[in-house]
This record gives sequence, structure tokens and C-alpha cells, in this order.
Amino acid sequence: MDRDMQQASSPGPVASSVGTDAAQDFDIHVRGLRKVFRQKGSGAAVVAVERLDFAVRRGEVVAIVGKTGCGKSTFFNVLIGLEEPSEGRIEIGGRAPYGDFDFFRGRIGIIFQQDRLLPWRTLIENVTLGLEIIGMDPAAQRAEAERWLQRLGLEKFLRAFPNELSGGMRQRAALARAFAVNPEILLADEAFGHLDEVTAKQIRAQFFDMVRIERKTAILVTHQLEEAIDTADRLLVFGKPATLLADLRVKGLPPEELPGLRARIQSMIESNESAADG
Amino acid sequence: MADRGPVRESEAVAAVDVAHAGGWPKETIVALVAFAVLWYIASLLLPPFVAPSWARIGKSLADIASKPEFIAITVGRVGFALVVSFLLGLVAAMAMYRWSVFERYFMPLVKMLMAVPVLCWILFAVLWFKDRELRIAFILIVVCAPIFVIDVLDGMHAVSRELRDMVRALRPSARQFFTKLILPATVPSILTSWKVNLSLAIRVVTMAELVGATSGIGYALMQANETFAVADVFAWTVVLVFILMLAQAVVTWIERRLLVWRD
Repeated sequence: MDRDMQQASSPGPVASSVGTDAAQDFDIHVRGLRKVFRQKGSGAAVVAVERLDFAVRRGEVVAIVGKTGCGKSTFFNVLIGLEEPSEGRIEIGGRAPYGDFDFFRGRIGIIFQQDRLLPWRTLIENVTLGLEIIGMDPAAQRAEAERWLQRLGLEKFLRAFPNELSGGMRQRAALARAFAVNPEILLADEAFGHLDEVTAKQIRAQFFDMVRIERKTAILVTHQLEEAIDTADRLLVFGKPATLLADLRVKGLPPEELPGLRARIQSMIESNESAADG
Repeated sequence: MADRGPVRESEAVAAVDVAHAGGWPKETIVALVAFAVLWYIASLLLPPFVAPSWARIGKSLADIASKPEFIAITVGRVGFALVVSFLLGLVAAMAMYRWSVFERYFMPLVKMLMAVPVLCWILFAVLWFKDRELRIAFILIVVCAPIFVIDVLDGMHAVSRELRDMVRALRPSARQFFTKLILPATVPSILTSWKVNLSLAIRVVTMAELVGATSGIGYALMQANETFAVADVFAWTVVLVFILMLAQAVVTWIERRLLVWRD
């Protein structure tokens, strides 16, 4: 059976976190995680993620940094439950995102590298998509989608199709789609990297404002060190293959310490890369 | 005058829209008129059994218009067979998308059906079915349904991994995944398949009606041929072409409304 359909197999209960599970522990625990792929042509094993161990507390904003191609996105797919770990496990609130796939319906909001809006849906219909899936009443869906689009400055474009909008507007709509289901956890994979610097800065600021106002747990995967240092409470530095080189708390660090930290991380990543290439 | 450029652009877009909304685009009309003129010249130079004049064809068309039931019968047969073919094709494609094992076993059969010439299907239909309507429906469905299967399945497989992952990450039920992503994404392929099959069905139904039918355009064509009524043969041909162009225009009209997001 097609894996798409296997995972999307049972309607399950309406699992929106809207007004529910307020007291539930949604800490994220990554334990001995390993992900190995088989190359289609040669059948050779490729290690993409190598024995990751870390935890993210509820309400923390964590950035995962590492060079392009180090396995961050593979880790991201395992984290959101689209890929099965080869070894070890990920638990969110004691449940596995892959094994307990349906449990996380409406509990995880995701922002991908590109906006990934459905081209045949208007902006408001794109934002209601997640709300339709969790089974919200149609009138409430519309109100909620409008509220988020308004909050992101897109109230004049509710009925516009994605191809009528700029990349920045589309990415803001993708933010609205992720926030609208009121998830416990927000995960963003290189979500602003494809935008120009000014637009990326604006949308990133909006994203982190909303994360902090709504008191969400957020994990941001990025290859941009500046972005990570500026926005996160904590940095997880990944080597290649995705393995933890350092776990650094950056929140509250005095500004004069940031250049030194930046240089340290860069040197850490570069020496890891030289070792991997060697 | 500074904003004249965008205004002119929008006027140009509006003019194109009007031309499309009113029916066929200008280029189609010019091509048809050019063909009519060439045919007129040919009718002056060649004997009537090769190229009958527009006057003769017009008279035959008037006769046809006075008793349009054969047209209605053929259009009804094509419409019924295409709807059944589409439903069968859609269900088969959905099953093949959902169960890859089914796709692996069923696809070779679909390809085999597509490789059989229409003439063979006509002969099989005469051998297998006594009822004339059943024969015609069988021939049309067995020819058109495999094309719907292939086109719809290709459309489903063509949905990008990025969009599939995005929707999967929202944790839809299997039904939601299909209705909110796969089916809407497949609409362009479905409409293209309808256009291809309309053209095919019009040609195949005429052949099917030549064998054993007692009504329909194919039957009328055979009768005209047997009585050497050459102008009638051309008139029925004109009717067939007109039906096809009208049907294509209807599909194009639907396409413009359903795929407005692509413009």
C-alpha cells in the first residue's frame, strides 16, 4: 500500500489542541536516533542521522544549525513523523510522531522550505486546510483563518490564488496555516532561506513574535548561523552526518559574547566537515 | 499617461477573454473559413463525387437538420459511454494509486487493452454480444476507459512530493488525503483526458455504428455510401466534426472555470 495512504489511513479522533491538553507534557525527547537510507541504484547504506540525543522543553525556542546537506532535513522529516527512525526514538509527550501518527493531528504545526500552498485553493482556503482536517466547524474555520491572515497583514488577499502573490506573502500564508490549528509545537525547516534578506527578516520576526506570544515550543532548522543566534533560546549544532556537536544556550548571553560564540560554532562545523571529508 | 501601459495590458487581456468567452478564438474561425474557400475552389475543379459543392452539401445538411434523431442517438451513445468509461477509469486509477500491488498486476492488462486495434474490438463485439446497443457501448468503453485510467493515474502520480509531504504532515485521513489533495491536483489531467477521449469516441462510434446498427450517424453514413449519395457523406462528416468541436468547446469552457487558478 502506498505509504501516503498508510499514514493517512484512519480518520481518528479530532485531535486539535484548541482548548485541550493544556496541561499535557509536550517535551520532545530524542534518544539514540539514527537514520540510514539505502541508495536506490547501488543499494549502499547512507547514514543521514547518527545517534542523536537531546531534549527540548515545552516553550523553548531551539534552532538546529549545520551545513547544507548535513542531514538536518532528514532529521526534520523523522521529527514530524514522515520518516521512521532506523534506530532509537523520538518522543513528543511520550508518544512517537511516526508510530502514533494520528495522535499529532492538530498538535504540530509545520513550515517547510517553500510555502507549499495548494495552487488551486485561495489563500483563505489554504489556511483552512489544517482546520478542515481536524474537523472544525466550517464557520469557525473561516473565522480562524481570517483572524490569522489579518494578523499577518493578508486580509486584502483572502480570495487570491497563490500564483497571484509574492513569495513573502505566500510564506506568510504558510505561517497562518501552521498557526491556525493552534498546535503545541511549531517546526520550521529552512522556512525563510528562500526569501530575500529584508522579507526574510520581517517574516522571521513575525514568526518568533507569534511563537513567543502564543507560548509555543518551536524548533527551527536552518543553515544560517546569524538567524539562529538572533532568534533562538538554544542552539543545537549538527555535524555531518547529523550528529550533535554542541548544545548551547544563547538566551541571555551578553551581546559582546556573541561574536566569539559565532566564531566557535563556525570553527566547530568546519573541523567536523574536514574530519568527515578526510 | 504614466499608467496607460497597465490599462492597455488589461484591455488586451479583456479582449482575449471576450474572444474566448464568445466561442472559438479568432484563429480557429480564420482556419475554418480558409478550409471552406479551398473546398469551394476544389468543387469547381473536381467532379462532384470527389468534391461536392457547398450548395449540395448544404442541401444534405438541411435534410439532416429536419430529422436530427440520428445525431441525438450518436451523441447519446458517446455521452453514455464516456461517462461510464470515466467512472470506471477513475475508480481503477484510484485503486491502482492506493494499492501499488494492484497497479503492478492491472497495468499490463490496461496496456494490453490499449494495444488491441478498434477493428478487432468491433469484430469481438459482433461475436460476443447479440444486442446492438451493448455492442456499441462495449466497443466505446473498452477503447476509452484505458485512456482515462492511464491519464488519471499519471495525474495522481505527478502530484509533487513537496505537496504530498505537506498534506501528510497535517495528518489527514485517507479520504481527506484523496479529496483535498490527490483529486483536485488531478483535475487538469482528467480534463485533458476528456478532450482526447471525445475525439476518439466520435471516430470510434461511427465505426461501431457501421456494423450492425440501425440508427446513428455511422448507419446514416453507410446508407449514403451504398446509395452513392456523396454529398450526404460529406454532410454527415461536417456534422461529426461540428459535434466534436462543440464538445471540445464545452470541455474548454469547463476547464477555464475549474482551472482559473492556473491563469
